[in-house]
Amino acid sequence: MKTKLFFFLLFGTSLVFPQAPTGSEIIDRVTNIMSPENSYSKGTQTIITSSGKERVFEFESWAAEKGESSLTRYTKPAAIRGQAFLMLNNADDIWSYFPRTKRVRKLASHAKKQKMQGSDFTYEDMGGGDVFQTKFKSTLLGEETRDGELVWKVEMIGISNQDPPYPKIILWARQSDYYPVALDYYNEIDFNTKSLVMSDIQVIEDYPTAMTMVMTDNKERSNTTMRTLEITYTWKPPKSFFSERNLKK
Amino acid sequence: MKFWGILLLLPGLLWAQPEFYGYFESEASTMQLGTNNYIFGFNKFRLDVEVRPNDHVQIGANINIQHYWGKTTWNLLDFIPDMGYLPGDEINIGLPDTLLLDNIYMKLSFPLFDFTLGRQQISPGVGYAWNPTDIFNSKSLLDPSYEQTGVEALRLDIPLGNRSSFIAIVQPEAELNQSTQQYILKSGLGSFDFSLTGSLQERVDYDVHILGDMNIKTRKMAGGSVIGELLGWGLWGEFSTNDLKMRSPFAYFDYTSLYSFEPIPDQSFTEYVIGADHTFDNSLYFLAEYLHNGFGTAEKEALSLTDYFAALGGASHSLMQDYAFFYAMHPTFDYVTLSAIAFANFNDNSGAFSPIVAWNVFEDTNLSLQGSVYWGEDDTEFGLQDWGLILNVTSSF
Repeated sequence: MKTKLFFFLLFGTSLVFPQAPTGSEIIDRVTNIMSPENSYSKGTQTIITSSGKERVFEFESWAAEKGESSLTRYTKPAAIRGQAFLMLNNADDIWSYFPRTKRVRKLASHAKKQKMQGSDFTYEDMGGGDVFQTKFKSTLLGEETRDGELVWKVEMIGISNQDPPYPKIILWARQSDYYPVALDYYNEIDFNTKSLVMSDIQVIEDYPTAMTMVMTDNKERSNTTMRTLEITYTWKPPKSFFSERNLKK
Repeated sequence: MKFWGILLLLPGLLWAQPEFYGYFESEASTMQLGTNNYIFGFNKFRLDVEVRPNDHVQIGANINIQHYWGKTTWNLLDFIPDMGYLPGDEINIGLPDTLLLDNIYMKLSFPLFDFTLGRQQISPGVGYAWNPTDIFNSKSLLDPSYEQTGVEALRLDIPLGNRSSFIAIVQPEAELNQSTQQYILKSGLGSFDFSLTGSLQERVDYDVHILGDMNIKTRKMAGGSVIGELLGWGLWGEFSTNDLKMRSPFAYFDYTSLYSFEPIPDQSFTEYVIGADHTFDNSLYFLAEYLHNGFGTAEKEALSLTDYFAALGGASHSLMQDYAFFYAMHPTFDYVTLSAIAFANFNDNSGAFSPIVAWNVFEDTNLSLQGSVYWGEDDTEFGLQDWGLILNVTSSF
């Protein structure tokens, strides 16, 4: 009996998930499918606080080099119209532009941890690139069914000397195309602080795209919904697009 | 002629689908100054219009309509300690209602450069509370991030790669040698941005004396700035070295004391700001800055009315030499931010503490209540005030 249990523990994973990819392989595929070379999108960001108050923001966003460079400009509401953020090197370098003062300012990387316009997303959450690959060690936990689809469940543990954005993330990715459908973010005491759910996933120009993303803050009981109104992956950045000059336009 | 010009231009502007936006701001304040309590405030309406006829042209303008109420005439001597040699009891400044064309400019974007003509906001420097390289503006320590008024200027921006650029700004006057010029070279390396600045300015300092005269000075400024990150903290520094040469025929005597008629020498001074900021994991944002301004006066006893006028009028970034500024902010409740400002003058040991509650009442409407308490002797820069309260409502559209 003990021998059977030993063999089950030793080979159990491969028996249950024949030819299952490793956690790292899944994260490589996730990163690849989440990182189109370029993109341009318009979207809304709706914040609903724990008391039910709602705020709606509209923005335009441009990204290139698989998300390594991005520029986001708010178009509504009027109070923040024209505010823009330029992020280079996977959001390691951030510049902000405030039209009321016409001032461009370089922000230190701690600004990445600030909430985007008071939403449940941080600037870091919106950064693309290879963060999941370089700042986390990933392990496959198993497979589950979510909304009728088979998904891989992967645990990502932050590599302490790589300054990971979170100590731990649990990610669920569709087995069919490795597109992530949910992420749980944990803090230092292993509390699930935030949860991200992606839905209304459509294939746009060969790329699966979540048209709706809902981030819930499990502590403050608020949530933010990002809706993609318009997106294209065929946009090509003009020369020097991701620059201070363009940030001020 | 101008009227017909506007009529001809108007259909073109409307055809180009102008965007209108702006805000209404209403502020009510009270201030305790010695034994006097004053109530005052303003209502301000700002309307911006922006047109982009094509990808290469941007035209913008805004008007400010501002109406003051309550106490609208201020005696500047209320803000200056009694120096015993004042020519009169009052120097009154009125705050008339204004209709101001604040900015009106056209920006032409060519492949290799941008050229902006007209009255435009110019905000050089990386400091938050003070900018030693900013020869165009001065800031209020109670609200350093408030918009600044437009400067009549020609501005050329030449990008040199993604992170570098050269900027030339000319503020034209009647004669070329009276025109202010500023040149800025900006670049970046790693997680740091830096800039070098050179300026030439002819400026008028109102020296207060029995004749009510003024000094015309030529100012040469060389400076620079650096901003970046070290050990998780944002760090910045901004400095300038300045030479002031007297040009006025009346500038040869110091009238600040009735009994002193010493020639005023040319002046050289340095000014620098160093600062740091950080956002902690609990979303608390903290910023600190230190200013040394060699143009200011080190000893309280050496202050003259001229020094006060230079500081109050914006000719100097500070009255005295050494200051600290602190700002902390935390998004504490749903759409409610608690913050506080504190600043101190190390030369006369005066300062202020100013807590602020800001509430985003509606999507485009913010309400804030800002208190301030001052410390220091009655004859110090900040100690001559006791306390203040500002209620502000701003609604954008």
